[in-house]
Amino acid sequence: MKKTLAIFKREYLAAVRKKMFIIMTFLMPLLMIGAFMVPTMLMEGGLGEKRVAVIDGTGQLGEAFKGPEKAEKSEMPMRRGRDIPQQMAVEYVAATGADADKAAKPYVARLGEKNGFDGVFVIPPDALTTETAKLKYYSRAATDFMTQGRLASRTNRYVQERRLASRGMTSADIEKLLTELTVQPVQISKSGEEKKGGVANFFVGFILVALLFIPSFIYGLETMRGIIQEKTDRVVEVLVSSVSAKQLLVGKVLGVAAVGLTQIGIWLTMAALAGGYFATAAKVGGDNSFQLLRASTFLYFIIFFLLSYMTYVCVYAIGGSVCNSEKEAQQLIMPITMTMMLPWFLMGPIITNPESKLAVGLSLAPVWGPLTMYVRTLVAEPPMWHVAVSIVVSLITISLFFWITAKIFRVGILSYGKRPTIPELWKWLKIA
Amino acid sequence: MGDILAVRDVSKVFGDVRAVDGVSFTVRRGTITGLLGRNGAGKTTTIRMITGIFMPDSGDIRWLGGGDGSGSSFRDRIGYLPEERGLYRQMKLVELLLFLAEIKGKRPADMRPKVDEWLERFELTEKRDAKVEELSKGNQQKVQLIGTLLHDPELIILDEPQSGLDPVNMVLVRNLLRDLRAEGKTILLSTHMMGEAEKMADEIILIHRGKVVLEGSLDHVRGAAGKNALHIDFDGDGAFLGALPQVKHAAIVSNSAEITLADGADPQQILEAAVGRLRIRRFELAVPSLEQIFIEKVGTETLSHEVAR
Repeated sequence: MKKTLAIFKREYLAAVRKKMFIIMTFLMPLLMIGAFMVPTMLMEGGLGEKRVAVIDGTGQLGEAFKGPEKAEKSEMPMRRGRDIPQQMAVEYVAATGADADKAAKPYVARLGEKNGFDGVFVIPPDALTTETAKLKYYSRAATDFMTQGRLASRTNRYVQERRLASRGMTSADIEKLLTELTVQPVQISKSGEEKKGGVANFFVGFILVALLFIPSFIYGLETMRGIIQEKTDRVVEVLVSSVSAKQLLVGKVLGVAAVGLTQIGIWLTMAALAGGYFATAAKVGGDNSFQLLRASTFLYFIIFFLLSYMTYVCVYAIGGSVCNSEKEAQQLIMPITMTMMLPWFLMGPIITNPESKLAVGLSLAPVWGPLTMYVRTLVAEPPMWHVAVSIVVSLITISLFFWITAKIFRVGILSYGKRPTIPELWKWLKIA
Repeated sequence: MGDILAVRDVSKVFGDVRAVDGVSFTVRRGTITGLLGRNGAGKTTTIRMITGIFMPDSGDIRWLGGGDGSGSSFRDRIGYLPEERGLYRQMKLVELLLFLAEIKGKRPADMRPKVDEWLERFELTEKRDAKVEELSKGNQQKVQLIGTLLHDPELIILDEPQSGLDPVNMVLVRNLLRDLRAEGKTILLSTHMMGEAEKMADEIILIHRGKVVLEGSLDHVRGAAGKNALHIDFDGDGAFLGALPQVKHAAIVSNSAEITLADGADPQQILEAAVGRLRIRRFELAVPSLEQIFIEKVGTETLSHEVAR
């Protein structure tokens, strides 16, 4: 016990003092924020202003492109929450009667020029009268579907208005008719309580799952590297002559687990502070993320974090004890990592459909269980027995892995030769 | 003084290689016992079984030193210096040493003054806050040695302690071992350097190809070999000496020869043969060196086919 504690202490202190730990602690949240904020920011403003020429063959849709501000506002109720605002400078050309395509030519020629246009949008003269009329969008980037989509939706909106107006409707009626309704997601809990959901829930869920799973891999890898390091530095010989392989393994795994918990603790504190702030902000905006940040979220987080963590660390410890170099270990562990990451790859379907057969199956399976079950507890309310079964399955898996690891560790940490084959590993398992 | 450790009929097989093959010996308390043999003879494997790193395939290892009352494993009362240095390179000296004592069951708080003492003794005091990787190789070796001795072990097992040491530190280690013996410690010293063993060991165990080929006190071993070693210093070409019928083995280096006599050979005949062809400056009949005894026992064959450890 005293010796296990000594190993534990050393592992913990060595890891916490590493630059890696400090970098991870502060970099991860930044990366997380970056991963979600940067695309949004880019879309919002980072792309810069788009200069677009609109060649209107009908000559009647000038209203739609009058100025970005007015158009933006009139559009808001219809496209709320779906479209990403983007600045657009529109040069409107009423090409009434003329051949719109011909009129567009000089503008198209200026595509991509310094003071030219990013896009040229052509509305054919028959746009108001013919259903098969085609709008055209010229640009250098064929993938500029956002600008294109926005121009099209504006045009369509006004085309619809004109068509309705031509049938004698007042503009007030038209406004009413064309207003789209929005959806308010509501989650019903078992107690019948209604909770408001929102897009924010999805993201908070994603972040929590990433926090649960990324440290497992990073510190699993660290454990593996540590063991290989001890082998190459030959420290292991000194260790094994003083402590049993089991004491060494227990001390090591728990030490690394404590490091993970410390890190998670710091992150959760950061997340709770930031989350509290953002959730308050989101609440004002109409979304309620507080339901995700409830006590059980954190309780489950700690339970499933430990379960997934221990599972992975054991697997990586085996990897470390049978390999002699990091390169070798990376190769060995790659397919295993991929397999273990399965729930992560399936995160989309699991989050959006937490009661599906896939999600339930994975959440009750060994290795994949902790991560999947945590997602389920996060976004839905799985039956208590599912949670219990998942925990028990994980505990059995961990004990089994631990037993295997201890055996292989005993022989593996002292073998400096080539990597053992599967039959050799089997032999190791059978010897005391 | 009784025995502290008994190794009985211990064997260890790696794949097809019998690294240790029925080895038995005892280590007497308060002695320096030399475990001798060429590289690959099975010394390190034997030591690793004593220190509990390997389990023997058969045979057993018994601690005869009695308990210390704490009920801890006898392995906590062994200090082990492995052949290849094993230290956490990123750790600070003091922390590493305290850790090494802690995994031997000592309380770090009790060890602090001892750490200072040892650092002082090895002239490492000013390096106490340095990381291991910042030290020179020789200093790392000293740190390893302190780690071996810090927990005040009764039996100290050193596997090639002098490899990689400069002559000054070699003398330091030699003196240290003598001091430790004087304090009543028992030392098991594994080495392939016969000369070193000869200078320090009270008892020797000679291992060859996983088997003990010779065991006993140094004096006894050398006495039993008889005065069959001949040292000759001369001027001239002495190459013919090796071919004389009275000579079993000869090591001839420029103007001197170390000769092992054939059984029953009369050294006088060699002198007669030599006088005619060489100018003799020294002619001495002596007890053979360990090296000579060893070669006589096992021959000069190369051991490249044997397992490295």
